[in-house]
Amino acid sequence: MPVTLRDEQLWFAGAVMTGAALDEADRRLTAGPRLGPRERLDVYRRGYESRLVECLADDYPILKVALGDGPFDSLCRAYIARFPSVAPNLNAYGRHMPEMCGGFEADLARLEWAIVEVIHEPSRAPMTMESLATVPEETWPGAHLVASQALRLLTLEYPANDYFQAVRDGHAPAIPGPGASATVVYRSGLTVWRMGLTPPMRRVLAALVAGEPLEASLSLAEGEPPEQVTAWFREWMSSGLFVAVEPG
Amino acid sequence: MANRFGLPDLGVGLGLRTVHYTHIVEAQPEVDWFEILSENYMQTAGRPLEWLDAIAARYPVVMHGVSLSIGSTDPLDRAYLTELRALRDRTKARWVSDHLCWTGVSGKNTHDLLPMPYTEEALHHVAARVRAVQDFLGAPLALENPSTYVEFATVGGMPEWEFMARLAEEADCALLLDVNNVFVSAYNHGFDPRDYLAAVPFDRVVQMHVAGHTHHGTHIIDSHIGPVVDDVWRLLGDAWQRSGGTSVLLEWDAEIPSFEVTHAEALRAKEFIGPSGGCP
Repeated sequence: MPVTLRDEQLWFAGAVMTGAALDEADRRLTAGPRLGPRERLDVYRRGYESRLVECLADDYPILKVALGDGPFDSLCRAYIARFPSVAPNLNAYGRHMPEMCGGFEADLARLEWAIVEVIHEPSRAPMTMESLATVPEETWPGAHLVASQALRLLTLEYPANDYFQAVRDGHAPAIPGPGASATVVYRSGLTVWRMGLTPPMRRVLAALVAGEPLEASLSLAEGEPPEQVTAWFREWMSSGLFVAVEPG
Repeated sequence: MANRFGLPDLGVGLGLRTVHYTHIVEAQPEVDWFEILSENYMQTAGRPLEWLDAIAARYPVVMHGVSLSIGSTDPLDRAYLTELRALRDRTKARWVSDHLCWTGVSGKNTHDLLPMPYTEEALHHVAARVRAVQDFLGAPLALENPSTYVEFATVGGMPEWEFMARLAEEADCALLLDVNNVFVSAYNHGFDPRDYLAAVPFDRVVQMHVAGHTHHGTHIIDSHIGPVVDDVWRLLGDAWQRSGGTSVLLEWDAEIPSFEVTHAEALRAKEFIGPSGGCP
């Protein structure tokens, strides 16, 4: 019975991706001038894993530093075995990495994946403080902001952003212990930014991003001086975290 | 001889790579054209498209894909084709190309250009799919000869150059002739690259690729690293002369140097494809 194209492809893909039925190489493939069938097949097998490891290293450069090259490579190979790619490109391939990690490494992976996500979200021109003045006074109590799609607000159990920044600054920080932190990751134009948030900043910003009314959101600052809250608000506006205001 | 599709000779272009975005947008260097990797601008609504819009507004663009998987026995991916066509329309790409290969089966993608068995069954299978893609795009698809590292032992097989020529005829498609791939596969499989060129229907060739490669002694990997070796440049000169003139593009994908160095390497093509068409 002749071997069909489908049969050849199922075998070849299995051999390359999982090492299945490698002993069939001698029957299905020819020898080349200098390499046997199995050695020729190995060119594809090596390429498959190294290509995906390289993709994950691009998405998670700081996680690679935190783990070290060897453990990161092992993590990636486990990832590849568990999550074969099913998409035409690798833009979203690394999205499961937080599931593959625990503790600090899981939070660091969340932070790095948020960076990838905001790169691929559309960005719009930010709203200005002046546009707030266009909101009719009678609708002000219910007015709310529209957050940029290129924004992720992370509430974490470890200070992942501090570690990330320290590595970026050329330091070799120790892996931190538990410690609640919050970071907003956003894209303004072509640049991705990370901004650490104190607990009251996080409460206010989370409410604003969720589309809660402005007045109710700002009240979540609790005991913070009004001028301090105004300063946060201006910084978030000028950073492009919001793209529109809608009347209540 | 102009290609039968009436597609223009764009000159000597470069593969667009992210490390060069800033320089290209800010310095606006004189470059004949850019080839984009289609998938880099698919399944995204963000920054990659913002860069691309700026560059496509200034330069002629051609689209080169790696995930059409034209040889796969899985069904054609309609969502992929829809996005591909939208990108073509967005960039006003002069043409769309991909590889004679398959990238996966059973819904999985290896993100590699996997080799075809060059059989009658595969020929008719791929030709039917190429016709379907061309109908969908409303334009000819250019298929690139791959670099390969294995050959199937399937009974009734034919040489790759025969498969490519017959496929182009049966599907009425265009060809992207990668002369580095011819060189790499010739070494890996032990054939003479001149035999390959002799069988190419040059009236269907709308573009040629050159690139660097990595020589391991026992085999050559099409790594797109480093300068193009002189043997490949000479092969380009031979092929270009046979074509009567066509668009040429340098691919450089690993350890990519500055834009100036990359572009200077691409422009070396002019030493080999001069008006005389001869090789130095």
